Amino acid sequence: MTKVLTVAEMVLRDLARRRTVLGMLFLLPLAFYAARHDQTGQAIRFASLGLGWGASTAGLFSGNSAKTVEPRLRLVGYSSLALLIGRLASLLLVSWAIAGAYFLLIYFDQDIRRPGALALMLMLTALIAVPLGMLIGALVPRDLEGTLLLIGLVGVQMAVDPAKSSSKYLPFWSSREIGTYVVDNVDSGYLTRGLQHGLGMAVGMIVLTGVLTVVRLRRRKHLQSIRQPVAAAMR
Amino acid sequence: MWTSQQPGEPPDRRPPAGMSHGRGNVAAPSPPVRLRASGITKRFGRREVLSGVNLEVHAGEVAAVVGANGAGKSTFLKICAGLISPNSGQVEVQGSIGYCPQAGGTFDFLRPDEHFILFGRGNGLKRDVARSRGREMAAGLGWSPDPKVQARHLSGGTRQKLNVILAVLGGHDILLLDEPYQGFDRGTYTDFWEVIWRLRDTGRTIVVITHMLNAMDRVDQVLDLTPTGSERNR
Ligand SMILES: Nc1ncnc2c1ncn2[C@@H]1O[C@H](COP(=O)(O)OP(=O)(O)OP(=O)(O)O)[C@@H](O)[C@H]1O
Ligand SMILES: [Mg+2]
Repeated sequence: MTKVLTVAEMVLRDLARRRTVLGMLFLLPLAFYAARHDQTGQAIRFASLGLGWGASTAGLFSGNSAKTVEPRLRLVGYSSLALLIGRLASLLLVSWAIAGAYFLLIYFDQDIRRPGALALMLMLTALIAVPLGMLIGALVPRDLEGTLLLIGLVGVQMAVDPAKSSSKYLPFWSSREIGTYVVDNVDSGYLTRGLQHGLGMAVGMIVLTGVLTVVRLRRRKHLQSIRQPVAAAMR
Repeated sequence: MWTSQQPGEPPDRRPPAGMSHGRGNVAAPSPPVRLRASGITKRFGRREVLSGVNLEVHAGEVAAVVGANGAGKSTFLKICAGLISPNSGQVEVQGSIGYCPQAGGTFDFLRPDEHFILFGRGNGLKRDVARSRGREMAAGLGWSPDPKVQARHLSGGTRQKLNVILAVLGGHDILLLDEPYQGFDRGTYTDFWEVIWRLRDTGRTIVVITHMLNAMDRVDQVLDLTPTGSERNR
């Protein structure tokens, strides 16, 4: 546990020193939000997507920047999962702080029917986004490949008709469902479906990232402990 | 083909540990093997970088790994650390491993103290213990870290000092150091070897990749990975 906290602390310190990055993470959703400001429902969904893309990009780069050091950290006694969970926790904390800021902004700026659901929607978006970025980081070798993959996902998520059933396979499908519930007079099925989808996505991606991380940082099997400490058994 | 033995040295007759160093325990039965790599072969694509390399290092010994650029030294060390797999062969170790990579290995935006804490905590050290131990070691290499400087702003040689300290900080039994003193100035170079000899005397096993042959006469064994004949200068 202390190891997870130590990792989390160092990830936070690292992130806190990248002021421009933090600033841009805060501003990105604003740009999306402003672009659709006149339509409440769309504005909320786009702010949420902006938050999501920012957080997943942060997850991607943060995960990749640690790739060269993590094997060393494994050797000095960190488990793969401690490394993963520590990073995830820090990034979530930052993303939730941004989500909190946008909750306040939207709450005071728009006519919201269900503020509680809005808070849930933003938090859920961050909870999906961070593992998404980390998963992409775990799948591809470097930042550029990861960025291209992420941009591809963004494009598809933006372009696809949300009513189509195939859009369910996209990571942020839930934000439309919950978004509808936030502004429109619809039944709670929207909320439940959204939550189920979002939580499922988040958990699935965390597990998958965990598996990939454990495999990447595994101790290779040619390395064994000497059972007989005496040299005589050799050759 | 090239030999994994020191040139001129017949196979399997490396000097026993500590022979030429007059340490107290020479008469005792030879110290335990800490690291034993046998038959390590590694290919990248169709190119064989290592073929059948053997190395056995005991507690309280320093082994130097030498060889031309691209000879496979770093690859060999990574295999010993268990970070990459060989195509064949195995490595047996007794004890924990500290590894200092040739490049990278630090977080650009973290300060030296934070590195000490992060790496020390992994070994179960308390925060202040890790920090003070790290600073102590830094002082041993003639460096007193500015508490506010981030690793990315350290000079090349100083960053390398940080790198070495992080490998040694946890008190590991086996230290694998990949060109640890790149960029060290003269004084630090001497200090570095002082640190190494002290660690050896406490029973550590140390494998150092090096291009500097002047320290060679004091190490316990040399593993030369330089390809011979037609395989050179690939
Ligand atoms: N991941 C890899 N993929 C393909 N080739 C590789 C890889 N890693 C190393 N090599 C090749 O293996 C050879 C040995 O590399 P290595 O880094 O072990 O050399 P080295 O002896 O440490 O050299 P140097 O003195 O320059 O540090 C090089 O020719 C290198 O190009
Ligand atoms: Mg090398």
